[in-house]
Amino acid sequence: MIDLIVKAIAYSSCIGIGAASITMIYDATRTFNFAHASMVSYGMYVAFIAVYLLGFTPYHALPLAILVGGGLGLVTYYGVNKWLLKARASETNLMMSTLGVDLVMFGFLNVLSDYLIQVYKVPAKFFVLETRDIMIQVGDTSIRLVGIVAPLVLVAIVVSLHIFLTRTKIGVAMRASIENPALASISGINTDVVYALAWLIGGALATLSGLLISLVVTGYTAAGMTMIVSFFAGSIVGGLFSIFGSLLGGLLVGLSEFLGISLLGSVLGGWIYAYRPAIPLAAMAITLLLKPEGLAGFFVKVRE
Amino acid sequence: MIPPELLLIIINFAIGLIITISLNIEVGFLNIPQFGRLLSVVMGAIIAAAVPGRILAAILGYPWGAEYADHMHNFKIVSEINKVLASNPWLSIGVFILTLIIAALIGGLMGLLCAYPALRLKETLGITLLAFGDLAVTIAWNYDPLVGGTTGVFVVDPFTFVGSQLRFTIAALAALIVALAVYFYAELLARSPYGRMLKAIRDSEVAAAVYGKDVVKARKQVLIVGGAISAMAGAIWALFTGSMKASTYTRLQWTFWPWAFMMLGGVGNNLGIFIGVLIYTIARFLIIVYKGAISTLIGISPEWLEYILIGLLIIVIVLFRPQGLLPEKPVYSLPKNKVNSIISKVEGEAGGEKSPTSSQSTSEKTSVTT
Repeated sequence: MIDLIVKAIAYSSCIGIGAASITMIYDATRTFNFAHASMVSYGMYVAFIAVYLLGFTPYHALPLAILVGGGLGLVTYYGVNKWLLKARASETNLMMSTLGVDLVMFGFLNVLSDYLIQVYKVPAKFFVLETRDIMIQVGDTSIRLVGIVAPLVLVAIVVSLHIFLTRTKIGVAMRASIENPALASISGINTDVVYALAWLIGGALATLSGLLISLVVTGYTAAGMTMIVSFFAGSIVGGLFSIFGSLLGGLLVGLSEFLGISLLGSVLGGWIYAYRPAIPLAAMAITLLLKPEGLAGFFVKVRE
Repeated sequence: MIPPELLLIIINFAIGLIITISLNIEVGFLNIPQFGRLLSVVMGAIIAAAVPGRILAAILGYPWGAEYADHMHNFKIVSEINKVLASNPWLSIGVFILTLIIAALIGGLMGLLCAYPALRLKETLGITLLAFGDLAVTIAWNYDPLVGGTTGVFVVDPFTFVGSQLRFTIAALAALIVALAVYFYAELLARSPYGRMLKAIRDSEVAAAVYGKDVVKARKQVLIVGGAISAMAGAIWALFTGSMKASTYTRLQWTFWPWAFMMLGGVGNNLGIFIGVLIYTIARFLIIVYKGAISTLIGISPEWLEYILIGLLIIVIVLFRPQGLLPEKPVYSLPKNKVNSIISKVEGEAGGEKSPTSSQSTSEKTSVTT
């Protein structure tokens, strides 16, 4: 039971981090980032490479994941998104372009996976890093380290993002240009830098969540694609316009996915476990129907 | 007899065309971000796998409840039914048509279901519809009594009566006929007053509403039509392959690829979509044929090369030609030469009136200035 709760906390923290990434990019550039799926998978493969090829723990690879994710985000922005924003493309076209980016990234990730299998003879197709996690003794129970690290990373992100967005000049500029891009650029803010920064942070958060989530779920190249509904649900439950709301929303979606299903399972019987993917959808539907402004609506006055 | 390569192109083209046309009716004509095409497609496949087989099993006295979808019994029951169908051409044709009708009805119902969020959400609509599609697949994958869950089921074969040699040819041609019918329906729709109303709503919802067009009703109707058409594609695919396994219905193949075809061809233009699907189907076929050569040449598995190429294609289209290969043109509801004669007539009259008035005005102006 304790293990389940620890796992649930780790998983939901990761969903929260990923949901924040989606919200960050959507708020700044009006782009629903489908490439998030592959970015998460890249994070998983960073963990895999760290463990199998370099012999580290996945936690050593956290900076590497941030670098990889930030790089992917910047490539997406400067390669595709920037020009579309400049041409004032429709939201659907922005979304489709990230889908294209996702497919390209997915293709290259699979090439990488094949390469790892051929050259290093490691099981890069499907991998379980759960067993490679460090166990910590607390009293007489041992818990996984990821159950502590993931929430810590989440808190660190909340604190550093808060400081960044309210105390630094570029952070304030970022908020200003999210709020009103035209006015921000009139007052001399370089919106280009702001958008690039949003993609940098968004990409880094996506791979970070992928790296940590690989310690809870099975890793494979399409893992991000199967989980992306949870991330989107977290972002929508959080309210889509508040990064902190989506961190919380992702946490909620993840917890209800992991703990809610076992609660339902104990009441209704084991058959319900298979319907786990329906939980984020249900959370999303309830939010959209009852409180469209999301969790953020409870504690932030949403602008009209 | 048609060579199997051509057969592959025909069936993929037909299925792709039906789905992409249905997508175009929703996205191109009314600008609904339909990222949940998978929902009605998989529902169509479920109908094809679950309904006609069960009806025939009930009539012929085989078990048709949960046992029908059980993998221990399913193949026996289906092969018995197929024997009956093989000796009964009219029954087979009836089964094929009935399956399409039921699939279209259920697909329309799915469209109605989509209408609920589609009338209320704006930014999040695409994601919500996408999640609907995933949910349908999850249910089909896990609820065994429906279509066998993880083991899948065999689908009754209404094409066996032509013999095993001709079977795939006839099935592909039937799919092609349905696809062409759908294409002409969409073309008629685009030319009809109703189609023009849809495009008016797409271009300016407020303006259309001001002129008394019921925007909510139009959205609902279009979602129902789109759902019905794409469900037929799912049903035909399940009948063609002769089996139904929920895991083969992926978001990528049944939602995103049709989106890519549509954007390649030209959003809102049926002819463009016809060409887009054709180009893509042939390109994909060439990749499959030259698999070995490609992978030895560049050292990448062709499967992943396909992903990379489609991804690049989408990016290039969105960046450089968002209107597609054949951009949407105003659709004429009258024959072209008639329209041209009217235009020349009107222009002739206008030209005849214009020159004196313009000269008059200029002369007035000059008189004023002087």
